[in-house]
Amino acid sequence: MLKEIIRPFQYKKMKHLNIEDTKSKNKQKSRIYFSTLKRIWYFLSSNKGLLFLVLFMVFLSSALGLLGPYLVGMAIDDYIVTRKMDGFVTLLVSLGVIYVFYSLSIWFQNYWMIGIAQDTVYTMRMRLFQHLHKLPIPFFDKRQHGELMSRITNDIENVSSTLNSSVIQIFSSLLTLIGTVAVMLWLSPLLTLLTLIIVPLMFFGMKWITKRTGPLFKEQQRNLGELNGFIEETISGQRIIKTFSQEKKVTAEFLEKSERLKAAGFWAQTYSGFIPKLMNVLNNLSFAIIAGIGGILALNGMISIGVIVIFVEYSRQFTRPLNDLANQFNTLLSAIAGAERVFEILDEEEEFKNERLLHELPQVKGEVEFKNVTFSYEEESKTVKNIDLHVYPGETAAFVGPTGAGKTTMINLLSRFYDVDSGSIYIDGHDLAKVKKESLRKYMGFVLQDSFMFQGTVRENIRYGRLDASDAEVVEAAKLANAHSFIVRLPEGYDTVLSQEGSGISQGQKQLLSIARAFLANPSILILDEATSSIDTVTELKIQAALQKLMKGRTSFVIAHRLNTIQNADRIFVLDEGRIIEEGNHDSLLKKKGFYYQLHGQAASSEA
Amino acid sequence: MLKVITYLKPYRIAVVIALILMLTELGVELVQPFFMAKIIDEGILVNNLSAVMKWGGIMVVFSIISFAAGVINSFYAAHVSQNFGFDVRKAIFEKVQSFSFANFNQFPASSLITRMTNDITQIQNTVFMSLRIMLRAPLLIIGGLLMAFVVNVKLALILSAVIPFLFIFLIWVMNKGRVLFKNVQERLDSVNGVMRETLTGIRLIKAFIRRKYEVSRFAEANNELKDRTVTALRVMEVAMPVLLFIMNVSIIGVLWFGNMQLNTGEVKVGEVVAIVNYATRITAAFSIFSFIIMAFSRARASSARIVEVMETPIDLLDRKDADSVFAVKEGKIEFKNVMFQYPGTETSAIDDISFTVQPGKTVAILGATGSGKTSLFQLIPRLYDVNSGQVLIDGMDVREMKMESLRKQIGFVPQEALLFSGSVKENIGWGKEAASMEDIIEAAKDAQIYDTIKKLPNQFETKLGQKGVNLSGGQKQRLSIARALVRQPKILLLDDSTSALDRRTEAKLLDALKAYPCTTLIITQKISTAMEADQILLLEDGGLLAKGTHDSLLDTSKLYNEIFSSQSREESRNYA
Repeated sequence: MLKEIIRPFQYKKMKHLNIEDTKSKNKQKSRIYFSTLKRIWYFLSSNKGLLFLVLFMVFLSSALGLLGPYLVGMAIDDYIVTRKMDGFVTLLVSLGVIYVFYSLSIWFQNYWMIGIAQDTVYTMRMRLFQHLHKLPIPFFDKRQHGELMSRITNDIENVSSTLNSSVIQIFSSLLTLIGTVAVMLWLSPLLTLLTLIIVPLMFFGMKWITKRTGPLFKEQQRNLGELNGFIEETISGQRIIKTFSQEKKVTAEFLEKSERLKAAGFWAQTYSGFIPKLMNVLNNLSFAIIAGIGGILALNGMISIGVIVIFVEYSRQFTRPLNDLANQFNTLLSAIAGAERVFEILDEEEEFKNERLLHELPQVKGEVEFKNVTFSYEEESKTVKNIDLHVYPGETAAFVGPTGAGKTTMINLLSRFYDVDSGSIYIDGHDLAKVKKESLRKYMGFVLQDSFMFQGTVRENIRYGRLDASDAEVVEAAKLANAHSFIVRLPEGYDTVLSQEGSGISQGQKQLLSIARAFLANPSILILDEATSSIDTVTELKIQAALQKLMKGRTSFVIAHRLNTIQNADRIFVLDEGRIIEEGNHDSLLKKKGFYYQLHGQAASSEA
Repeated sequence: MLKVITYLKPYRIAVVIALILMLTELGVELVQPFFMAKIIDEGILVNNLSAVMKWGGIMVVFSIISFAAGVINSFYAAHVSQNFGFDVRKAIFEKVQSFSFANFNQFPASSLITRMTNDITQIQNTVFMSLRIMLRAPLLIIGGLLMAFVVNVKLALILSAVIPFLFIFLIWVMNKGRVLFKNVQERLDSVNGVMRETLTGIRLIKAFIRRKYEVSRFAEANNELKDRTVTALRVMEVAMPVLLFIMNVSIIGVLWFGNMQLNTGEVKVGEVVAIVNYATRITAAFSIFSFIIMAFSRARASSARIVEVMETPIDLLDRKDADSVFAVKEGKIEFKNVMFQYPGTETSAIDDISFTVQPGKTVAILGATGSGKTSLFQLIPRLYDVNSGQVLIDGMDVREMKMESLRKQIGFVPQEALLFSGSVKENIGWGKEAASMEDIIEAAKDAQIYDTIKKLPNQFETKLGQKGVNLSGGQKQRLSIARALVRQPKILLLDDSTSALDRRTEAKLLDALKAYPCTTLIITQKISTAMEADQILLLEDGGLLAKGTHDSLLDTSKLYNEIFSSQSREESRNYA
């Protein structure tokens, strides 16, 4: 039991967050906070008209909120203390009217503010999503999916819940504060001064607390993102986790991350929990001071009892907005922590940057040329080196070579998923570096190594190749890709929904659907990256004819380990360690008895 | 909600302490106006300064006590809520780990993810709030009323008359809110879902320039989320102005009635002041209430979603009488009239298949796309249960073993090489606890990936992105083979996992595999690989069409001949 009692005080301090920073760093931090706030404001301010209305309502409700107690004080002073009845009912009725408008103004401001806040959040989500789609592939290579997902849900959620209430709170608090101080000054400057004694105390307390909560919120969101990433990975990797029976290992790792989130969360919550308490004690303190000193003053006849009563009420009115402001400051910090993580992504450089200066690629004939192209994924090791190649319109070019030789890289460069480090790629003589990326991809059709299917029907997935394709065209494409026969045997045929695991679609069948997609796209340049690797050779033979038909009259790039497609290629580029070491067609390369011959000789000899 | 609340049990001491501290604060807060009435009635009105000082001093002391209580409460409340969140997360994660694939199909991945983070955060925040203010509000109201009754019964009656209506109103709003926020969370799932698809399919999206299409899909999900959120919040926010109005009206009532009673002498001035003061306090408490019902409604919606996951019946479990001693020793695999169909489908994926693989032998499985090769594989580590028939390992039905002791001895290489974020070393060693560096290097060498790893910038310490994106397809496949080999499994399952390898590398790999004393099943498209096997199984439409050696199948099976000729054409051309 004792252990349980002292446990809350045994959490390790989060030293690594450097809370006790030097002053200059603190200044820097507050500048970051400020710029983040400014960006949130930028999103908010697109709704200026409504925001103005909200402000007006806040103004109204604050004024009415002040007027109400004033009339109550009047009622007490003028009627109750003096036991007068004349005009009392009128006063009460006007008080009632004030209360009606008070409630209405609050309702309106909330109603509108929720609209504005959710609009803002909507726009932020849209921006984030749109921007993600503009980011280059290398960005995605380095990120965990779940971690990015956390930004669009958990982080924006922080912004959302803050905007819903905080904007109003902050404005109304500020207004109420100003109004209250003004009225208090008018009533009794002396008592006002007394009430203000607590302000510096409040300031230092807040500073002490927020210096801690700011970084802690950030840390909490970061940990939450990491946890989200981990969860996403374990769900994607269930098949592996199960067959390897590694549930315990994965759970242990999860708990470790969860523990980190807990620690950050504990401190963030504890410190942020101090704020209302601090405000409360200062509140009570000022209550006592006013009552005590007010009492003395009243004894001396310097003020009336009514003034004290009003003052007590006002001092509460005064500390309440301060209290609220303090609380809002905290949620604001948590919103900033979330928003910062959203802006982090928005600040990533998009792949279409400066594309305005570039031109659209005109209708492509399909001549492709690589001139001295060098590229590396990581700085240290070059992935492809000094590549020179030339493919003429309508030709089929094949890349062969051992795994990791750079075959897929060539495709990645041609489609500009990655940018060359040096050298240039030309299509029909246009330097790709000077062409808008999407205008390039428009002419290309892909069957990629990883045949990804979206959640949706078979039909929708094939139609992804060309969105305006008719149902008949979809079926036609499926027939060409030899996918029709298995599709019609699915429970719902073309309307079968492809979901995650065990939807009854095999890897090979997914590849057939991908091929159907490419058929539908009808591109000028066709790219087949291991398009048939999971398809059995008999089926492959069957779609071979269709593929040949598809490749006819288009420039095609093929990567395959099986040779059916490659044998007919006009040009075969043999890659090894990022260089083209041989070039020719099937027959000429065999005659050469070089690397290509060896690659196949090996296969042939194992068969002999 | 109740089910989730039980996770608070281990922290009941801390909960009680937090509540006591909260009550302390509350007590102080409630007696403050009482002190004030004293100051006015006993001090100011009768010109007694020492009474003013006395009661003022008491007030200050009480304030400080309340502050200390509040700060300590913060520690306990954070402790309880964070641990509560941690425990619920743990429970739900463990539950999800025990999910079968059929279970996984009940929940979209994105929804599971939202539940494990966002929903838990909602509840966690509500717990924190409850321990600090949630109970405070009703107690403040009750306490305020009690004090009002102490001060003056008649005036207090006016105040309390409206309270029951307010409660009914609040409960109505809360129930409404639960439904509305459930909608919100569901929309959040779909936003998350579109996001996840974008991230997984980004290459395809870029390749087909479907940016705008995806954005419009997202806009739809996002718009729904916005609409539901706005609806939910607006309903919630009606509560506040209504509450304020009703309470304020009751203040008017107190003033009016108070003034009447003053004349009859039943009420003192200080009493009216005090009661008006209590009324404003109760009003303030109610405005916290509107905040609370929001949080509470959200928490209830989120708890329901969590409970839904927790209460999902797992359809693939260790039997109670599962053999706990059994361990796979030899690796003999036997299928007896196995029938299997995926849950929710009508046609069987595996139809009456029987075969036996002797320990240490290698079997190749061939068949057309969609003929059931992968489905057959999944039955061995018991990823799915057979519908009828039996899968036996070393003579024992896999359903009679503990899943863990079965799977521990299996090395599985899936079709899609799926790697995890982390270093190369971590990914290979992933398959085995406490794998030594030597084990890892050996497995890497056998998987023909050692040389490649050596060339990576940080070799075995090189970080891989999710799914190992900065490696080529063939490299990923070999890493995932190394991951299986490092376990020194008794049974090795290779699901077409050499498709991206060139022939030379593949031959070397198969050679290296021979040295492993395990039963090996290889799904392959390549005759050349099949020829190396002791036995070949040929599947068609979920059934076992033929089995035998390369030569015997060439003699007997038409399909095998077809496959053979589809591949030998290219081989014969090699010699041309």
